[in-house]
Amino acid sequence: MTKTLYKSFAAAFVFMLFSAASAAAQDVKVIKFDELQQLRQSPGDTLYVVNFWATWCKPCIKELPYFEAASTAYKDQPVKVVLVSMDAAEDLEKRVKPFVQKRNLKSNLLLLDEADGNTWIDKLEPKWSGAIPATFLFNNKRGQYEFVEREMTQEELQGLIEKYKP
Amino acid sequence: MKNLKLPFVYMVCLLFVGLLLSAVPAADNGYQVGDTARDFKLKNVDGKMQSMADYKDAKGFIVTFTCNTCPYAIAYEDRLIELHKKYAPKGYPVVAINPNDAKVSPDDSYEQMQQRAKEKNFPFAYLHDETQAITKAYGATRTPHLYIVQKQADGSMKVAYIGTIDDNSRDASKVQKKYAEAALDELVENKQVSQPNTKAIGCTIKWRAA
Repeated sequence: MTKTLYKSFAAAFVFMLFSAASAAAQDVKVIKFDELQQLRQSPGDTLYVVNFWATWCKPCIKELPYFEAASTAYKDQPVKVVLVSMDAAEDLEKRVKPFVQKRNLKSNLLLLDEADGNTWIDKLEPKWSGAIPATFLFNNKRGQYEFVEREMTQEELQGLIEKYKP
Repeated sequence: MKNLKLPFVYMVCLLFVGLLLSAVPAADNGYQVGDTARDFKLKNVDGKMQSMADYKDAKGFIVTFTCNTCPYAIAYEDRLIELHKKYAPKGYPVVAINPNDAKVSPDDSYEQMQQRAKEKNFPFAYLHDETQAITKAYGATRTPHLYIVQKQADGSMKVAYIGTIDDNSRDASKVQKKYAEAALDELVENKQVSQPNTKAIGCTIKWRAA
């Protein structure tokens, strides 16, 4: 009897721990291109740092910690780091969410559910060939915009944020 | 005195211009549709060096920058085989080129390419661009990245299409628009390609460390 009680207690404790951990990592919001376009056109005096990545993209994963670090470092400033996953929407539960949990990602997380890049890439940035990683920095209030289609170093990212942050 | 100085000034100027020119890569953005694509001589998985010029009867090529490691490239392997089977008899074979540096991406080494070609029984050439010079000349940035070229009367290869295979890299069963096939059908009939540029998300090319 006591043993069962102890067991259920332990189970409850583990469950609590787990839910605490899951509350810490960000949720992933699945969006379509029009919502991404809205984000791109956000009118406020905020520097948006929008990085396109995927769980299968090695150079993207390599630079993810830099974006995470920026997300934490500038959390009290008008700097918003957004990670947009290019993973398939079907992989959300079995790949993306476990990845986000494991890495305990804190940035804003979106998953763009658009299989055909040809319908939207040019609308976002004609210069973008479609290779990832790719990063957009913009502050629409100040008319600032920068597009980088390659892997960045932490110094590069920091330098860009410092250059543009309001 | 004045006469002595002048050649020196010229030399310094020339040196300066030379430095400026060498700092700018020759083909910064690579080919656009309508450009003439250069031939290459790259090592195939069968051990032989391969060029476009070796294909005497070809009317053009589906030059595809692809690799062993990118999930999108892998997802397209079977479709690339089908593309070759369908269009090689019509004069447009696939020539696959792996652009990735084997040091940065060990699973894209020549030996691993041979292995993958064997496993998948590739019916097309799978070439290794070890120096990445051809990849840079074409301007490929991701895998997979297609350049469909058409042979002209003078034997040169004109870029007719740059882009992706179709509208769903992840799932062949959900494909609605076959961009590359549409372009090839037009080329086979000697028509103008109506959609010569398409885009897709892909893996960045693994460039060798500078």
